[in-house]
Order: sequence, then C-alpha cells, then structure tokens
Amino acid sequence: MIQKLIDKSMSKSPWIFHINAGSCNGCDIELVSVLTPRYDAERLGFRLTGTPRQADIVVVSGPITLQTRDRLVRTLAQVPEPFCVVSLGSCPRSGNVFKGSYAIDGPLEKYVHVDVSVGGCTPKPEAVVAALAKAAEILAEKRKEMRK
Amino acid sequence: MFPYLKRALSNLFRPAVTEKFPAGEPPKAAEGYRGRISYDPTLCVNCGMCMRVCAPQCMTRTIKPLEGGAQEITLTFDQSSCTFCRLCADFCARKAITLTDDYMIVGTQPEDFIVSGTFIKKAPPPKLTPEQLAELKAKAEAAKAAKAAAEAAKAAEEPADPACSADNG
Repeated sequence: MIQKLIDKSMSKSPWIFHINAGSCNGCDIELVSVLTPRYDAERLGFRLTGTPRQADIVVVSGPITLQTRDRLVRTLAQVPEPFCVVSLGSCPRSGNVFKGSYAIDGPLEKYVHVDVSVGGCTPKPEAVVAALAKAAEILAEKRKEMRK
Repeated sequence: MFPYLKRALSNLFRPAVTEKFPAGEPPKAAEGYRGRISYDPTLCVNCGMCMRVCAPQCMTRTIKPLEGGAQEITLTFDQSSCTFCRLCADFCARKAITLTDDYMIVGTQPEDFIVSGTFIKKAPPPKLTPEQLAELKAKAEAAKAAKAAAEAAKAAEEPADPACSADNG
C-alpha cells in the first residue's frame, strides 16, 4: 500500500534531467523557458534535477557528437528504471544539418529507446510541454508494468 | 514603496500569466511561423529543386515505374530531420510546398513525423520511326501547299486595288 502511495506521488512529480549532446543551445533555451512562469511546467510537477540518479525523464538535445557520446551513454546508465527519454528538436532524431559530419555519431535511437520526440528547430515551448506531458503518461504506464 | 504596493494589489485581481496549455487548446503560432510542411502532390512537377536546396536532406523521392512508361512519384518529407528554413517552399516554382503554422510536432513513432504525397507522371508521347516522321512531314507540307494555293486563287479572284498598289509602288 505504501508502494502504491509512493508510485502515485512519483507520477505527480516526474523530475527532468537534461543532457546537452552537442546542441546549438536553441533547444536548451526553449526547455528552460518551459519552466518560466509563462509556461510553468512546474505546475505539472516537472522539475529540473542536477543528477541523473534522481531523474524520471531524460531530455536529450543535440546531435550526438563524438565528445558527448560516451558521457551520454554513461549518464543514461545511471538513470534508475523506469525512465523515459525525450528527444528535443530535430538533431537527436536525425542529425539535422550536421548529418554526415565526421564529428557526429547519431542518431539517439542507436543508444537508447526514445519514447517521445519533439520535432522543430527549435520546438515551441508548448510543444515541449505537450511532449513532457506525454512522457509522464508513458512513465506512469511503465511504472505500472514494472510493479506487476 | 507606493508603486510596488499598487502593483501588488492590482496583481491580486489579475488572472495568472501562465498559459493553461495542456488543459485547453494550444495557442496559435505567430504570423509567418514556419511549422510542419504541407505538400500538395497535384501541383508538383518533380523538378527536384526542393531536394537540391534542402540542407539537412530531409526529402526522399521514390520513383516507381508503372505500365506504359508512366511513373508513380512519391516525395517524403521527414519532419524530424527538417530545419524549417523554408528554402524548399521559396524555391518551389509551383508552390506545391508550404509551411503551415502547426508546431505541435510531437510523436512516439517515426510515422508521426512523415509528410508525404504521391502523384503519377504520365508517359511521354510515343517516339516516331523515321518513316512515320517522313509521312507526317509530307502531310504537313501538302497541307501548307494547299493553303498557299487557295490563298493565291483568292487573290486572283479579287481585283487588286489600284490606289493601294500605287501607294506601295
């Protein structure tokens, strides 16, 4: 019963960890603006956390550069199950304009299963909020599956 | 002190600035916003200019040959690869590509990011053999000669205007 209570509380407050895998900073700024009073994702329980060990949702932006690849994999390995991966913008999904570059080793799908993707270059904050809300839903389902 | 107090009091009765978005409808994008691509295959002439100017190479074109030399051409736009620079729409001579103000490009499957359209390119007219070409040429020349003869006969029937010929001469 206590576990149920904990699960319910956790589904109301999914914490976000943001990984910048070589992003141009456009998507990162949009993600930060999602937490400002105008879009206020914190009213839905989302909160930026400083460590992957406390994260429920991992937001990845940027095409995966060679420099960030190992760090990305290492960070993702530290996130406790269950967790959701959200890819922000076009870059993590395809490489965008950096496609074919020698410094890129994408897409993100190669390293981890991406649950929700947001398109756009950069996506609008509303789209980011919608994606995070969807990720929270998927996360609740994943947690339910895990408890079975 | 007083202006702050005034502000604080007025804020008490003002609605929140936060957008109520996930609860209600998403707000409209600004005018001229570059969102999801819309592609009208009925206008497309398959010139391939959009693919040429696209920096992230988000378009793929598949050409499937049909019977009788016709082709089924499918142009696919991968919205998870697009930079939304609108170069494709600017370079599209037939205005088959436009960028809508739909910014809600959120999905869990790769299919959620695909915009595509298919059209059928008709087969070109059949190529003629040299004999057929010569026959057509002879026919055309005969028609031309007949027309010239008819005109000459008409001119001979009508008496020439003396004033007109004087002017010209």
